[in-house]
Amino acid sequence: MAYDVKTVKREWEGHETALAWRRYPVEHEPIRRHCHMIDDANPLFIEEGRCPPVMVDFFASQGPWPAADFDILGLIRRIPTPGDRLINLNQEFEWFLPVRVGDRLGIRHKVASIHQRSTRLDPLSVWIRTETTIVNEREQVVARRTNQILVHRTPEEIATGVSRS
Amino acid sequence: MSATPQRYQEDVANGEELPGFSLELTMTRMVLQVSGTQDFYPIHHDQAFARSAGHPDIFINTSFIRGCLCRVLTDWIGADGFVKRLGFQMRTPNLLGETISARGRVKQKGPDGHIEIEVWIESAEKGVTVPGSATVILPARR
Repeated sequence: MAYDVKTVKREWEGHETALAWRRYPVEHEPIRRHCHMIDDANPLFIEEGRCPPVMVDFFASQGPWPAADFDILGLIRRIPTPGDRLINLNQEFEWFLPVRVGDRLGIRHKVASIHQRSTRLDPLSVWIRTETTIVNEREQVVARRTNQILVHRTPEEIATGVSRS
Repeated sequence: MSATPQRYQEDVANGEELPGFSLELTMTRMVLQVSGTQDFYPIHHDQAFARSAGHPDIFINTSFIRGCLCRVLTDWIGADGFVKRLGFQMRTPNLLGETISARGRVKQKGPDGHIEIEVWIESAEKGVTVPGSATVILPARR
């Protein structure tokens, strides 16, 4: 059966997840690892416990295990698509409040839009736009984020005409 | 370690270059990427998986890229500056073996200390691979 993007759009566009709280507060050690990754010696992060702005979603999501809880991946995996290979193409962040070690964050996601448009990787590529809101323990919004995700098939799946949905 | 010098809105000029930095994407750096981001999607560490998806090699992930772009800003704004917005487009993957540079340039000084900044990642081989833009808020001198 051919992939029916209209049905997928009708069922998933506007879908919102419930607010989910991080199991652990913002911690020093992941900040140190982040800084090590990019040779960032900024003492505001390493010594004073400020959270680098781009780490708020890391601390607000449930971490990479269990896998289904990891940021938007669990949500994206539930949306029917011909392929299952993911690429994050664009991202935009807006911050409203600073975050520090010890803060506890929560996160919720929304599926903003779904489109099907051919790419060089796959003529049946699906484009999914998501909106994420991150709050602190007082439920004040600390950041909003949008992602543009591309979901595609492998060259082998394209060659054999395989579609998962 | 010493704190980064404070930047004030009065000291900023349109067109000013932010210092930025460069990183060689060695296999060790790719491992640091997985450690730092906890992103275990194999396209960023498993060469066979990346090639099976049609890519020439493993490439750095979104969190690594935005970490670099954000560092360009936080290295520059000082302790009392605030990163308000960051957006970017990942147009070309940066692969294992490349050397990338993260850069920035003041585009427009706005009201109330809001500074619009162009940010980007480039490599010698590919030019700009990740264009982006950001807004930071700088304090005024008292």
